[in-house]
Amino acid sequence: MRTLQFTFPAVSRAAHRAHVGVVGSGDLEILFEPTGAAGSATVRVRTSVEGFDEVWQATLQRFFARVPLEGSWELNDAAATPALVTLRLQQAAQAAGGGASTPSAPTGTREAS
Amino acid sequence: MTGDSATVPATDTAALLLGAGVDGGPVDWTRVLRRRSFLELDALARAEALLDGPGSRVLCGPFDRLESPWLAPQEVTPQADDGVVVARGVISGTDAVVLSIEQAFQGGGVGEVSGAKISQALRLAAADSRAGHPVAAVLLLETGGVRLQEANLGLNAVAEICAALLELRPLAPVIGVVAGSVGSFGGLSIATGLCTHVIVTPEARIGLNGPAVIEQEAGVAEFDSTDPALIWAVDGGEQRYRTGLADTLVIDDADAVRDAVRGAVAAGVTPPGRHRSERLDVLDTRLATIDPADPPEPLRLRTLWGQAYEPPPGPAVTSRRGRDVQPHAGATQSSMVPGERGLAWTVALAGAPPQPVIPSVLRADRDDTVFLAVVPDPDNHFYRARQGQVGLTECAALARTLRAITAEDRLREQRRPIVAIVDLPSQAYGRIEEMAGLHQAIAAAVDAADAARVAGHPLVTLVVGKALSGGFLAHGLQAAQILALDDPGVEIHAMHKAAAARITLRTVEQLDELAKSIPPLSYDVRQWATLGFCDGLLTVENADNPTDADVRTVLAAIADAVTRARPGSVDLSNRLDSAQAVKVRAASRAVRDALAAQWPTPR
Repeated sequence: MRTLQFTFPAVSRAAHRAHVGVVGSGDLEILFEPTGAAGSATVRVRTSVEGFDEVWQATLQRFFARVPLEGSWELNDAAATPALVTLRLQQAAQAAGGGASTPSAPTGTREAS
Repeated sequence: MTGDSATVPATDTAALLLGAGVDGGPVDWTRVLRRRSFLELDALARAEALLDGPGSRVLCGPFDRLESPWLAPQEVTPQADDGVVVARGVISGTDAVVLSIEQAFQGGGVGEVSGAKISQALRLAAADSRAGHPVAAVLLLETGGVRLQEANLGLNAVAEICAALLELRPLAPVIGVVAGSVGSFGGLSIATGLCTHVIVTPEARIGLNGPAVIEQEAGVAEFDSTDPALIWAVDGGEQRYRTGLADTLVIDDADAVRDAVRGAVAAGVTPPGRHRSERLDVLDTRLATIDPADPPEPLRLRTLWGQAYEPPPGPAVTSRRGRDVQPHAGATQSSMVPGERGLAWTVALAGAPPQPVIPSVLRADRDDTVFLAVVPDPDNHFYRARQGQVGLTECAALARTLRAITAEDRLREQRRPIVAIVDLPSQAYGRIEEMAGLHQAIAAAVDAADAARVAGHPLVTLVVGKALSGGFLAHGLQAAQILALDDPGVEIHAMHKAAAARITLRTVEQLDELAKSIPPLSYDVRQWATLGFCDGLLTVENADNPTDADVRTVLAAIADAVTRARPGSVDLSNRLDSAQAVKVRAASRAVRDALAAQWPTPR
């Protein structure tokens, strides 16, 4: 298992915390809490697969550039693909009520209710 | 679809099993498409599907971060809720708690935390029920059994779950739901066998040993684990239902499962003595219809035994004993080595030759203490139990003996101590065992042991050799006090080493190395003794052939254990309160405290 830490600049706020996913093979769970240092998204990744640090960096950077939701993000990963990681991040942002508050939400992201 | 298919009677089995049938009406295949699959739901969604309306609450959820402390040190990513959802709410007007196992995480394996969530929730439900506010429990059992990364803590968790389930069962119904796709295997299949009511889908499976471990231990002729038709013929939900080992068969539809759960909750508790795990008359007479040398096909069992869990319509047969008797060549192949310590210690401690209850289950009485041991029987007609494994008839004999002692002492002021002497290589791995429901037989032994303890018999276990897995769950792990010899030949574990290494994708050397820093993984009895449920590690001169001094030492230790057990509580809570548990089982204790704090007291 590998533990990775990232921090990205963030500007938007979420209404509440959110949990999505499961640590099942090829999947991951995400715990998001709208707490922590203002202006940043802190991300901790624990992954069962080693050797993909740069892929994580790129996947997360791309997501937080589009959805700069500030708060604490914990990702418990069991070898999810980057596409699924992005999907789960979007689900977590939506569930937290912050997914659509960004100026540049990617097409395909549904409005949060 | 042709016009003809609409006129096929709804009794058409395939249509019914797929959910296309309407009772008494025509087959409507569009129903198959309209239903909402229960199998496709995750653990949380399954729990929510069963509870009435909004207002349910998740206790000890992911943000409480009660994750397993044992996985990260083994390079396994933990899950924030350790794979069990505890949801409080109402089912059909009755207060209820749903305990839903997430099958996608570690195959639903029971670890320290996930196990403590289930057992402590059941105990809280029992406490409320005792106080006059019944809380029904629904167990969503999708699990391969004990999580091998937490081996001995998982094995103990199963024993605590069984005891807690039996604490609640007389007070409020405990409903087991096995929907699939993992099924209910390993230790928790025993809990399935203890439930008030068991609901299955055709996709469900219930069994003690999974097909792969049977094939590995007994060979492909015994069980071909690549043959799904065989697996479902033996373990499948419909087969369990048709042979009386499950109560309700529903299609994979969330509404159908919910309706079945509502019905079972509304039916309430089962009267004492009528639970499947108490029906020793049924267990005995059913087993008597099987000659292992010429076993019936699984389908035949449906007519031989019938759908009701009652003494069977099929005739009793004479089983052939003898070491040459087996249904196929190599049927008795086994990696298990018969242990001789069970007999040696039983004779030594009792000071007299023991009386066989059956050849493989010995009873000996000394003064007012009863000793019970499971020993090898090389002529056992159940040929998969010849090396001392706990099999079908062993469980039946243990249960019958424990029930008899409990009944005899009903009016005695002081109940007799019962000592389980343990040297057993495991439970029996076999196709006939699974077909006949070894999980149900072990449930009978567990139920009887729990009942003896609850009635006030000081139950003491003495491990003199191997104590593995389901065998130990059946014989030993329900005791109020557990003693073990401090000897290299003593081995207590959830699975023998080679298999555990294979399943956790390690070499035996890696497993040994990890076990040095992770006590629940260890095969060393001194490490096991640090886990919080060892009440005495006894030094003896000769563990194989006890000397007179050894006998005196051990008898004195047993007497002390009996004294400690007499005034003690009749449940297993001491395993969480011992000095060692405070150190090593901190995660279990945190679960207990957090669940109690979050458990609602609405009235």
